[in-house]
Amino acid sequence: MRRTSPILAVLLGAFLGAIALSVSTGPTAVSLRQVVDGLTANGWRGIPSDTGARVVLTLRLPRALLGALVGGALSSSGVAFQALLRNPLADPYILGVSGGAAVGALAALLLLPGDSFLPLPLCAFLGAALAASGVFLMARHRRGVSRERLILMGVVVGAFLNALIMLMVAFSPPGKIPGALYWLMGDLGLGTLPRVGVLLPYVAAGAGTLFLLSRGLDLLLLGDEPAFTSGLPVEKVKTAVYLTASLLAGSVVAVSGLIGFVGLIVPHGARVLVGSGHRRLLPAAFLLGGTFLILADVLSRTASPSGELPVGAVTALSGAPFFLYLLRRNGGKT
Amino acid sequence: MSDVLLAARGIAFRYDDREVLAGVDLAVREGELAVLLGPNGAGKSTLLKILSGLLAPRSGEVSLLGKPPESYGRREMARLLSVVGQDPPLDFPMTVEEFVRLGRFPHRGFFGGTTPEDREQAERALGMTGLSPLKGRGLGKISAGERQRAMVARAICQGAKVMLLDEPTAFLDIFHRVAFYEIVSRLKEEYGVSAMVASHDLSFCAEYGERVFLLSAGRVMSSGRPDEVLTPENVREAYGVAVACDRNPATGAVRVTPLRRSETTRR
Repeated sequence: MRRTSPILAVLLGAFLGAIALSVSTGPTAVSLRQVVDGLTANGWRGIPSDTGARVVLTLRLPRALLGALVGGALSSSGVAFQALLRNPLADPYILGVSGGAAVGALAALLLLPGDSFLPLPLCAFLGAALAASGVFLMARHRRGVSRERLILMGVVVGAFLNALIMLMVAFSPPGKIPGALYWLMGDLGLGTLPRVGVLLPYVAAGAGTLFLLSRGLDLLLLGDEPAFTSGLPVEKVKTAVYLTASLLAGSVVAVSGLIGFVGLIVPHGARVLVGSGHRRLLPAAFLLGGTFLILADVLSRTASPSGELPVGAVTALSGAPFFLYLLRRNGGKT
Repeated sequence: MSDVLLAARGIAFRYDDREVLAGVDLAVREGELAVLLGPNGAGKSTLLKILSGLLAPRSGEVSLLGKPPESYGRREMARLLSVVGQDPPLDFPMTVEEFVRLGRFPHRGFFGGTTPEDREQAERALGMTGLSPLKGRGLGKISAGERQRAMVARAICQGAKVMLLDEPTAFLDIFHRVAFYEIVSRLKEEYGVSAMVASHDLSFCAEYGERVFLLSAGRVMSSGRPDEVLTPENVREAYGVAVACDRNPATGAVRVTPLRRSETTRR
């Protein structure tokens, strides 16, 4: 335990450093002084008139914060799903959240008129919530929810929703397809300060709840029967973890699209650093996931002169080698 | 006459159309080492699951310190009764010490901090099971026998009055089998712990057990002191093998030795 605090401190430093790097990276150089001057000129109220300061405050900062929240939330959710399903291959999308969100988002993008009263994030969130609760209800039986049925139902519902997604893309007007694909690949460009503000309470509540359930997650790793006889109200905890982790994933997917890889791999990386105890693992995964997604986003903005790369592709391209190294280096010790 | 801590009356259970238990009665007294014997499929594991509250019996009742298991909160019950079962394999890295400390959940709950007592109990459990040198090792990097000892250590760490153990010595060599029964005897003598051990080790049970329940075809066929239960007739009826039962000259305990198959028939 004593050895873990420095690791968490280093991760926190990296997390803050990544936010700073992201905010200071872009085609135009903006100094910190410009931003502070811009803010003080207005008495710290409202958006400054200086262009550089505006770019930082309305574009780069929300984007960095969105990356932090999305990366952190996906990683926390992934940790929770892996413990809930006792499966290292689980990720936040395994139980239908991604398919539901995508169907909702594409419906908003392709079917609803542009000025619809239902904004895309809300449609995506509703889709995710519907799919996740559907899977959960179908997996229930007399004695509770079994892991095997959850996974099976998640895969079946996911396949059905994927078919819907393909149909929606196939029948949509060609002009709208790139936008739809971009959403499917994940995009942090939708970040605005108000959106980050809307997302923050969901992420804080979700990640906070999971943290409070840490010891329950530890016991769930052992299996239902050992967890039960160790004093855990297993079915209640499983339901709470499922709903919280789905809410967390659904709310970030709604504003960022489907960013893959983070929720699957970051939990394993964090386990290598701090072990499987969730009291340390959840904060570590949140910080590592946020840092990783912000850096991937910086790369996606700067790597190609012809425009932005989809951040979902960058996460896998850049992350896979790094995490392979981390897992192979430490895999033997655990 | 000491108190009955755990009792079952008329327990019946079936899995779909297969009857497993057909009216089982038993009682475990304070500070007693009871042994549950019976052939494969006799319903030992099912009975232990019912006693631990994991399964609800179809009929009959269980009482733990005079109350049915459902009347306890989960953590309250886990402070009274711990279980060593057959855990599924773990696919995540966890050290022996982390694993053993999970046994403190009933005392700490979700939010309680780690108290000096939690640490002490974990140290004691690791020490008693001889796992202290391995405590930093990953669970995936130790032998099956060491893992089994780690599960026993987790149950000890839980600090319960009653322990139910389902074939806890299955993967242990003779040294660690002796060590296991010595640990349970020590828990019994020093801490007044009662234990019920399901096992196939007839001679070990005769040596260490104080009360034996021989389960066959869903019923307690015979119960009592080891020398009362472990007779050639009972063993032949329950297991379908011929054995010779004599006394161990060193300890006086019953000794069960299998005879060659030629004249035995398994029903």
